[in-house]
Amino acid sequence: MDAEAIKMLAAGLAMGLGALGPGIGIGILGYGAMQGLARNPEARGPIQTNMILAIALAEAIGIYALIVAIILAMVA
Amino acid sequence: MTGPKKRGCLGCSFPVLIIVGVIVIALVVLGFITGAIGQNMLSGLDLPEWLIASSPQPHLPAPELFHVFGFPITNTMLAGWITVIVLVVFSFVVTRRMQIVPRRLQMLFESALGWIYDVCNSIAGEVNGRRFFPVVCTIFLFVLFNAWLSLIPGFGSIELVKNEPIPEDAQIMPSKEDPAHLVALVDDREYEIATVDGQDTIVVEEELIRGSNTDVNTPLAIALVSFVFVIFYGLKNARMDFVRQYVNFGPLFRSIGRIFKGKFDFMGIFEGAIQVFVGGLEFLSLLIRNVSFTFRLFGNMTAGEILLLIAAFLLPFVMPFPFYILELLIGLVQALIFSLLTLVFVTMAVTPAHGAESH
Repeated sequence: MDAEAIKMLAAGLAMGLGALGPGIGIGILGYGAMQGLARNPEARGPIQTNMILAIALAEAIGIYALIVAIILAMVA
Repeated sequence: MTGPKKRGCLGCSFPVLIIVGVIVIALVVLGFITGAIGQNMLSGLDLPEWLIASSPQPHLPAPELFHVFGFPITNTMLAGWITVIVLVVFSFVVTRRMQIVPRRLQMLFESALGWIYDVCNSIAGEVNGRRFFPVVCTIFLFVLFNAWLSLIPGFGSIELVKNEPIPEDAQIMPSKEDPAHLVALVDDREYEIATVDGQDTIVVEEELIRGSNTDVNTPLAIALVSFVFVIFYGLKNARMDFVRQYVNFGPLFRSIGRIFKGKFDFMGIFEGAIQVFVGGLEFLSLLIRNVSFTFRLFGNMTAGEILLLIAAFLLPFVMPFPFYILELLIGLVQALIFSLLTLVFVTMAVTPAHGAESH
Protein backbone atom coordinates (compact mmCIF):
# COMPACT_ATOMS: atom_id res chain seq x y z
CA MET A 1 0.00 0.00 0.00
CA ASP A 2 1.29 3.45 -0.76
CA ALA A 3 1.21 6.37 1.63
CA GLU A 4 -1.87 7.97 0.07
CA ALA A 5 -3.94 4.79 0.48
CA ILE A 6 -2.93 4.45 4.12
CA LYS A 7 -3.81 8.10 4.71
CA MET A 8 -7.29 7.61 3.29
CA LEU A 9 -7.72 4.38 5.27
CA ALA A 10 -6.64 6.18 8.43
CA ALA A 11 -9.13 8.99 7.79
CA GLY A 12 -11.96 6.51 7.29
CA LEU A 13 -11.01 4.51 10.37
CA ALA A 14 -10.67 7.63 12.50
CA MET A 15 -14.14 8.79 11.53
CA GLY A 16 -15.76 5.37 11.80
CA LEU A 17 -14.29 4.37 15.14
CA GLY A 18 -14.56 7.89 16.47
CA ALA A 19 -18.27 8.02 15.71
CA LEU A 20 -18.88 4.76 17.55
CA GLY A 21 -18.62 6.10 21.10
CA PRO A 22 -20.65 9.29 20.61
CA GLY A 23 -23.29 7.24 18.79
CA ILE A 24 -23.69 4.93 21.75
CA GLY A 25 -23.66 7.91 24.10
CA ILE A 26 -26.36 9.76 22.18
CA GLY A 27 -28.42 6.56 22.10
CA ILE A 28 -28.20 6.22 25.88
CA LEU A 29 -29.09 9.89 26.31
CA GLY A 30 -32.13 9.59 24.07
CA TYR A 31 -33.19 6.44 25.92
CA GLY A 32 -32.96 8.22 29.26
CA ALA A 33 -34.83 11.26 28.00
CA MET A 34 -37.61 9.13 26.51
CA GLN A 35 -38.02 7.23 29.75
CA GLY A 36 -38.11 10.46 31.68
CA LEU A 37 -40.71 11.84 29.30
CA ALA A 38 -42.86 8.74 29.51
CA ARG A 39 -42.81 8.83 33.29
CA ASN A 40 -43.31 12.55 33.61
CA PRO A 41 -44.69 14.22 30.47
CA GLU A 42 -45.03 17.60 32.24
CA ALA A 43 -41.25 17.90 32.54
CA ARG A 44 -40.93 18.04 28.78
CA GLY A 45 -39.25 21.46 28.55
CA PRO A 46 -36.33 20.95 30.95
CA ILE A 47 -35.79 17.36 29.80
CA GLN A 48 -35.61 18.45 26.18
CA THR A 49 -33.20 21.32 26.86
CA ASN A 50 -30.91 19.20 28.98
CA MET A 51 -31.04 16.34 26.50
CA ILE A 52 -30.00 18.60 23.64
CA LEU A 53 -27.17 20.04 25.74
CA ALA A 54 -25.90 16.60 26.74
CA ILE A 55 -26.23 15.31 23.19
CA ALA A 56 -24.20 18.22 21.90
CA LEU A 57 -21.52 17.45 24.48
CA ALA A 58 -21.40 13.82 23.36
CA GLU A 59 -21.44 14.86 19.73
CA ALA A 60 -18.39 17.06 20.28
CA ILE A 61 -16.29 13.92 20.73
CA GLY A 62 -17.40 12.70 17.33
CA ILE A 63 -16.50 16.12 15.97
CA TYR A 64 -12.94 15.72 17.28
CA ALA A 65 -12.67 12.53 15.24
CA LEU A 66 -14.09 14.39 12.26
CA ILE A 67 -11.41 17.09 12.57
CA VAL A 68 -8.71 14.44 12.60
CA ALA A 69 -10.27 12.75 9.58
CA ILE A 70 -10.57 16.03 7.67
CA ILE A 71 -6.98 16.95 8.44
CA LEU A 72 -5.80 13.51 7.37
CA ALA A 73 -7.81 13.44 4.18
CA MET A 74 -7.52 17.01 2.98
CA VAL A 75 -4.68 18.89 4.61
CA ALA A 76 -1.95 16.51 5.74
CA MET B 1 -55.71 15.22 2.64
CA THR B 2 -57.96 18.09 1.54
CA GLY B 3 -61.67 18.14 2.22
CA PRO B 4 -64.05 18.51 -0.70
CA LYS B 5 -65.13 22.02 0.33
CA LYS B 6 -61.65 23.43 0.66
CA ARG B 7 -60.25 25.20 -2.35
CA GLY B 8 -56.68 24.36 -3.09
CA CYS B 9 -54.21 22.22 -1.27
CA LEU B 10 -51.66 22.96 1.47
CA GLY B 11 -53.04 26.46 1.84
CA CYS B 12 -52.32 27.56 -1.74
CA SER B 13 -54.64 27.70 -4.69
CA PHE B 14 -54.00 25.09 -7.36
CA PRO B 15 -52.23 27.29 -9.92
CA VAL B 16 -49.76 28.51 -7.29
CA LEU B 17 -49.25 24.95 -6.10
CA ILE B 18 -48.59 23.73 -9.63
CA ILE B 19 -46.09 26.52 -10.26
CA VAL B 20 -44.30 25.79 -7.00
CA GLY B 21 -44.29 22.09 -7.79
CA VAL B 22 -42.87 22.65 -11.25
CA ILE B 23 -40.12 24.88 -9.82
CA VAL B 24 -39.24 22.30 -7.17
CA ILE B 25 -39.16 19.45 -9.70
CA ALA B 26 -37.07 21.55 -12.08
CA LEU B 27 -34.61 22.29 -9.27
CA VAL B 28 -34.41 18.60 -8.36
CA VAL B 29 -33.76 17.61 -11.98
CA LEU B 30 -31.28 20.42 -12.50
CA GLY B 31 -29.53 19.58 -9.24
CA PHE B 32 -29.33 15.95 -10.22
CA ILE B 33 -27.84 16.48 -13.66
CA THR B 34 -25.41 19.19 -12.60
CA GLY B 35 -24.26 17.57 -9.36
CA ALA B 36 -21.55 14.98 -8.91
CA ILE B 37 -23.96 12.05 -8.51
CA GLY B 38 -25.77 12.73 -11.76
CA GLN B 39 -22.54 13.57 -13.59
CA ASN B 40 -21.15 10.17 -12.70
CA MET B 41 -24.33 8.27 -13.53
CA LEU B 42 -25.13 10.04 -16.80
CA SER B 43 -21.63 10.34 -18.18
CA GLY B 44 -22.77 10.96 -21.75
CA LEU B 45 -24.41 14.27 -20.85
CA ASP B 46 -22.75 17.36 -22.27
CA LEU B 47 -23.45 20.46 -20.22
CA PRO B 48 -21.89 23.90 -20.36
CA GLU B 49 -19.02 24.22 -17.89
CA TRP B 50 -20.56 26.93 -15.71
CA LEU B 51 -23.52 24.71 -14.93
CA ILE B 52 -21.51 21.82 -13.50
CA ALA B 53 -20.90 21.97 -9.75
CA SER B 54 -17.17 22.33 -9.21
CA SER B 55 -15.53 20.08 -6.68
CA PRO B 56 -15.23 21.69 -3.23
CA GLN B 57 -11.82 22.72 -1.94
CA PRO B 58 -12.16 23.19 1.79
CA HIS B 59 -9.06 24.47 3.53
CA LEU B 60 -8.64 24.82 7.25
CA PRO B 61 -6.19 27.70 7.76
CA ALA B 62 -7.70 31.10 7.07
CA PRO B 63 -5.87 32.86 4.22
CA GLU B 64 -4.47 36.34 4.74
CA LEU B 65 -6.24 38.87 2.57
CA PHE B 66 -4.27 42.06 3.17
CA HIS B 67 -2.20 43.82 5.78
CA VAL B 68 -3.19 46.78 7.94
CA PHE B 69 -0.25 48.45 9.72
CA GLY B 70 1.70 45.23 9.36
CA PHE B 71 -1.02 43.07 10.87
CA PRO B 72 -2.34 40.36 8.58
CA ILE B 73 -6.11 40.49 8.15
CA THR B 74 -7.72 37.13 7.41
CA ASN B 75 -11.16 36.50 5.99
CA THR B 76 -12.42 35.04 9.26
CA MET B 77 -11.46 38.25 11.06
CA LEU B 78 -13.56 40.21 8.59
CA ALA B 79 -16.52 37.95 9.36
CA GLY B 80 -15.96 38.47 13.07
CA TRP B 81 -16.02 42.25 12.64
CA ILE B 82 -19.16 42.00 10.55
CA THR B 83 -20.78 40.02 13.34
CA VAL B 84 -19.78 42.66 15.88
CA ILE B 85 -21.07 45.47 13.65
CA VAL B 86 -24.37 43.67 13.07
CA LEU B 87 -24.79 43.13 16.81
CA VAL B 88 -23.97 46.74 17.63
CA VAL B 89 -26.33 48.09 14.97
CA PHE B 90 -29.09 45.74 16.12
CA SER B 91 -28.71 46.79 19.75
CA PHE B 92 -28.63 50.46 18.74
CA VAL B 93 -31.79 50.15 16.66
CA VAL B 94 -33.57 48.21 19.37
CA THR B 95 -32.63 50.46 22.28
CA ARG B 96 -33.01 53.76 20.44
CA ARG B 97 -36.71 54.06 21.04
CA MET B 98 -37.49 51.89 24.02
CA GLN B 99 -41.13 51.64 24.92
CA ILE B 100 -42.88 50.25 27.92
CA VAL B 101 -45.14 48.29 25.63
CA PRO B 102 -42.53 46.80 23.30
CA ARG B 103 -42.86 46.75 19.52
CA ARG B 104 -41.92 43.75 17.42
CA LEU B 105 -38.11 44.02 17.32
CA GLN B 106 -37.82 45.10 20.93
CA MET B 107 -40.14 42.26 21.89
CA LEU B 108 -37.91 39.74 20.10
CA PHE B 109 -34.75 40.93 21.79
CA GLU B 110 -36.35 41.32 25.18
CA SER B 111 -37.73 37.82 25.15
CA ALA B 112 -34.44 36.34 23.92
CA LEU B 113 -32.31 38.18 26.47
CA GLY B 114 -34.89 37.56 29.17
CA TRP B 115 -34.69 33.87 28.51
CA ILE B 116 -30.89 33.83 28.86
CA TYR B 117 -31.23 35.96 32.00
CA ASP B 118 -33.64 33.44 33.49
CA VAL B 119 -31.26 30.60 32.67
CA CYS B 120 -28.42 32.53 34.35
CA ASN B 121 -30.52 33.09 37.44
CA SER B 122 -31.65 29.49 37.64
CA ILE B 123 -28.10 28.12 37.37
CA ALA B 124 -26.02 30.69 39.26
CA GLY B 125 -28.62 32.07 41.67
CA GLU B 126 -30.14 35.56 41.94
CA VAL B 127 -27.04 37.58 42.86
CA ASN B 128 -24.41 35.79 40.82
CA GLY B 129 -26.69 35.29 37.84
CA ARG B 130 -27.06 39.03 37.50
CA ARG B 131 -23.29 39.48 37.65
CA PHE B 132 -22.41 36.75 35.18
CA PHE B 133 -25.14 37.63 32.68
CA PRO B 134 -23.20 40.19 30.57
CA VAL B 135 -20.27 37.94 29.67
CA VAL B 136 -22.40 34.83 29.20
CA CYS B 137 -24.88 36.68 27.02
CA THR B 138 -22.12 38.29 24.95
CA ILE B 139 -20.57 34.91 24.24
CA PHE B 140 -23.99 33.53 23.35
CA LEU B 141 -24.87 36.36 20.96
CA PHE B 142 -21.45 36.41 19.29
CA VAL B 143 -21.32 32.68 18.64
CA LEU B 144 -24.97 32.57 17.56
CA PHE B 145 -24.79 35.48 15.13
CA ASN B 146 -21.46 34.24 13.84
CA ALA B 147 -22.96 30.87 12.99
CA TRP B 148 -26.16 32.27 11.51
CA LEU B 149 -24.52 35.04 9.50
CA SER B 150 -22.19 32.55 7.84
CA LEU B 151 -25.23 30.83 6.33
CA ILE B 152 -26.08 33.95 4.36
CA PRO B 153 -25.17 33.72 0.66
CA GLY B 154 -21.99 35.71 0.12
CA PHE B 155 -20.15 34.21 3.06
CA GLY B 156 -17.64 31.89 1.44
CA SER B 157 -18.89 32.50 -2.08
CA ILE B 158 -17.58 36.00 -2.85
CA GLU B 159 -13.95 35.68 -3.79
CA LEU B 160 -11.10 38.12 -3.70
CA VAL B 161 -8.76 37.75 -6.66
CA LYS B 162 -5.21 38.99 -6.25
CA ASN B 163 -1.89 38.51 -7.96
CA GLU B 164 1.06 37.25 -6.00
CA PRO B 165 4.64 36.57 -7.04
CA ILE B 166 5.31 32.91 -7.74
CA PRO B 167 6.77 31.27 -4.62
CA GLU B 168 10.12 29.51 -4.79
CA ASP B 169 8.77 26.01 -4.23
CA ALA B 170 6.08 26.25 -6.89
CA GLN B 171 6.14 23.69 -9.67
CA ILE B 172 5.15 24.88 -13.11
CA MET B 173 3.45 21.97 -14.81
CA PRO B 174 0.62 21.17 -17.21
CA SER B 175 -2.84 21.24 -15.70
CA LYS B 176 -4.57 17.94 -14.91
CA GLU B 177 -7.69 18.75 -16.88
CA ASP B 178 -6.09 20.49 -19.81
CA PRO B 179 -2.52 19.33 -20.56
CA ALA B 180 -1.90 22.18 -22.98
CA HIS B 181 -2.32 24.70 -20.19
CA LEU B 182 0.43 25.55 -17.70
CA VAL B 183 -0.40 26.08 -14.03
CA ALA B 184 1.66 26.59 -10.88
CA LEU B 185 1.35 23.88 -8.26
CA VAL B 186 1.78 25.14 -4.68
CA ASP B 187 0.89 22.84 -1.77
CA ASP B 188 -1.20 20.59 -4.01
CA ARG B 189 -3.32 23.49 -5.24
CA GLU B 190 -3.26 24.66 -8.81
CA TYR B 191 -3.01 28.37 -9.54
CA GLU B 192 -3.42 30.13 -12.85
CA ILE B 193 -0.42 32.06 -14.10
CA ALA B 194 -0.90 35.62 -15.29
CA THR B 195 1.53 38.27 -16.41
CA VAL B 196 1.23 41.60 -14.60
CA ASP B 197 3.63 44.48 -15.41
CA GLY B 198 5.93 42.12 -17.24
CA GLN B 199 6.22 39.79 -14.26
CA ASP B 200 4.79 36.30 -13.94
CA THR B 201 2.39 36.03 -11.01
CA ILE B 202 -0.03 33.43 -9.73
CA VAL B 203 -3.69 34.32 -9.50
CA VAL B 204 -4.88 33.60 -5.96
CA GLU B 205 -8.61 33.41 -5.34
CA GLU B 206 -9.55 33.62 -1.67
CA GLU B 207 -12.95 33.76 -0.04
CA LEU B 208 -13.56 37.33 1.08
CA ILE B 209 -15.47 36.46 4.24
CA ARG B 210 -15.79 33.13 5.97
CA GLY B 211 -17.56 32.20 9.20
CA SER B 212 -15.32 33.44 11.99
CA ASN B 213 -15.44 30.26 14.04
CA THR B 214 -14.17 28.10 11.18
CA ASP B 215 -10.74 29.46 12.04
CA VAL B 216 -9.36 27.81 15.16
CA ASN B 217 -8.10 31.14 16.53
CA THR B 218 -11.50 32.71 17.19
CA PRO B 219 -12.89 29.83 19.30
CA LEU B 220 -9.56 29.79 21.15
CA ALA B 221 -9.92 33.50 21.88
CA ILE B 222 -13.46 33.07 23.19
CA ALA B 223 -12.35 30.06 25.25
CA LEU B 224 -9.54 32.14 26.79
CA VAL B 225 -12.01 34.92 27.62
CA SER B 226 -14.19 32.40 29.38
CA PHE B 227 -11.11 30.92 31.16
CA VAL B 228 -10.00 34.32 32.46
CA PHE B 229 -13.59 35.08 33.47
CA VAL B 230 -13.81 31.86 35.50
CA ILE B 231 -10.43 32.43 37.20
CA PHE B 232 -11.20 36.08 37.97
CA TYR B 233 -14.51 35.36 39.68
CA GLY B 234 -13.10 32.28 41.38
CA LEU B 235 -10.28 34.31 42.92
CA LYS B 236 -12.53 37.24 43.74
CA ASN B 237 -15.30 35.31 45.45
CA ALA B 238 -13.82 32.13 46.86
CA ARG B 239 -10.25 33.44 47.29
CA MET B 240 -8.16 30.76 49.02
CA ASP B 241 -10.83 28.13 48.62
CA PHE B 242 -10.50 28.48 44.86
CA VAL B 243 -6.73 28.09 44.99
CA ARG B 244 -7.04 25.19 47.40
CA GLN B 245 -9.09 23.31 44.85
CA TYR B 246 -6.02 23.06 42.65
CA VAL B 247 -3.01 23.36 44.98
CA ASN B 248 -3.73 21.48 48.16
CA PHE B 249 -0.56 20.80 50.18
CA GLY B 250 -2.14 21.60 53.56
CA PRO B 251 -3.20 18.12 54.77
CA LEU B 252 0.05 16.53 53.56
CA PHE B 253 2.28 19.04 55.35
CA ARG B 254 0.18 18.85 58.49
CA SER B 255 0.54 15.07 58.59
CA ILE B 256 4.28 15.31 57.97
CA GLY B 257 4.52 17.92 60.69
CA ARG B 258 2.88 15.53 63.10
CA ILE B 259 5.78 13.09 62.64
CA PHE B 260 8.03 15.54 64.48
CA LYS B 261 5.58 15.61 67.35
CA GLY B 262 6.08 11.88 67.63
CA LYS B 263 2.83 10.80 65.99
CA PHE B 264 3.37 8.76 62.84
CA ASP B 265 0.10 9.00 60.93
CA PHE B 266 0.55 6.95 57.78
CA MET B 267 -3.05 7.30 56.57
CA GLY B 268 -2.86 11.06 57.02
CA ILE B 269 0.22 11.31 54.83
CA PHE B 270 -1.34 9.01 52.27
CA GLU B 271 -4.55 11.03 52.13
CA GLY B 272 -2.61 14.26 51.94
CA ALA B 273 -0.63 12.95 48.97
CA ILE B 274 -3.87 11.93 47.28
CA GLN B 275 -5.27 15.43 47.89
CA VAL B 276 -2.22 16.94 46.19
CA PHE B 277 -2.67 14.55 43.28
CA VAL B 278 -6.39 15.32 42.96
CA GLY B 279 -5.61 19.04 43.00
CA GLY B 280 -3.17 18.50 40.14
CA LEU B 281 -5.82 16.60 38.19
CA GLU B 282 -8.33 19.39 38.77
CA PHE B 283 -5.82 21.94 37.54
CA LEU B 284 -5.15 19.83 34.46
CA SER B 285 -8.87 19.60 33.73
CA LEU B 286 -9.12 23.37 34.14
CA LEU B 287 -6.53 23.77 31.37
CA ILE B 288 -7.89 21.02 29.14
CA ARG B 289 -11.32 22.63 29.30
CA ASN B 290 -9.95 25.36 27.00
CA VAL B 291 -8.87 22.83 24.39
CA SER B 292 -12.24 21.13 24.59
CA PHE B 293 -14.10 24.45 24.31
CA THR B 294 -12.01 25.46 21.31
CA PHE B 295 -12.26 22.29 19.32
CA ARG B 296 -15.94 21.71 20.04
CA LEU B 297 -16.92 25.04 18.53
CA PHE B 298 -14.30 24.98 15.78
CA GLY B 299 -15.14 21.42 14.81
CA ASN B 300 -18.88 21.97 14.70
CA MET B 301 -18.61 25.13 12.61
CA THR B 302 -16.01 23.69 10.22
CA ALA B 303 -17.88 20.43 9.87
CA GLY B 304 -21.07 22.35 9.10
CA GLU B 305 -19.34 24.40 6.43
CA ILE B 306 -17.76 21.36 4.77
CA LEU B 307 -21.04 19.46 5.02
CA LEU B 308 -22.84 22.25 3.15
CA LEU B 309 -20.05 22.41 0.54
CA ILE B 310 -20.18 18.68 -0.11
CA ALA B 311 -23.99 18.61 -0.14
CA ALA B 312 -23.98 21.41 -2.70
CA PHE B 313 -21.43 19.48 -4.72
CA LEU B 314 -23.28 16.15 -4.72
CA LEU B 315 -26.81 17.40 -5.39
CA PRO B 316 -27.00 21.17 -5.84
CA PHE B 317 -30.13 23.15 -4.87
CA VAL B 318 -31.84 20.21 -3.19
CA MET B 319 -29.52 18.47 -0.80
CA PRO B 320 -28.13 21.58 0.99
CA PHE B 321 -31.62 22.66 2.00
CA PRO B 322 -32.19 20.27 4.94
CA PHE B 323 -28.59 20.79 6.01
CA TYR B 324 -29.14 24.55 6.14
CA ILE B 325 -31.95 23.97 8.62
CA LEU B 326 -29.68 21.61 10.56
CA GLU B 327 -26.99 24.31 10.60
CA LEU B 328 -29.44 26.84 12.05
CA LEU B 329 -30.12 24.42 14.89
CA ILE B 330 -26.44 23.57 15.37
CA GLY B 331 -25.52 27.27 15.57
CA LEU B 332 -28.09 27.79 18.30
CA VAL B 333 -27.06 24.68 20.23
CA GLN B 334 -23.34 25.48 20.05
CA ALA B 335 -23.91 29.05 21.22
CA LEU B 336 -26.03 27.71 24.06
CA ILE B 337 -23.42 25.13 25.03
CA PHE B 338 -20.52 27.56 24.99
CA SER B 339 -22.32 30.10 27.14
CA LEU B 340 -23.97 27.61 29.48
CA LEU B 341 -20.73 25.71 30.11
CA THR B 342 -19.00 29.01 30.90
CA LEU B 343 -21.82 29.78 33.30
CA VAL B 344 -21.64 26.36 34.95
CA PHE B 345 -17.84 26.53 35.34
CA VAL B 346 -17.89 30.02 36.82
CA THR B 347 -20.67 28.98 39.18
CA MET B 348 -18.57 26.00 40.24
CA ALA B 349 -15.60 28.32 40.77
CA VAL B 350 -17.44 30.74 43.07
CA THR B 351 -18.99 27.96 45.13
CA PRO B 352 -16.08 25.54 45.67
CA ALA B 353 -16.95 21.97 46.40
CA HIS B 354 -16.28 20.79 49.95
CA GLY B 355 -14.20 17.67 49.69
CA ALA B 356 -12.87 16.08 46.55
CA GLU B 357 -15.55 13.40 46.35
CA SER B 358 -18.44 15.77 45.67
CA HIS B 359 -18.28 15.61 41.91
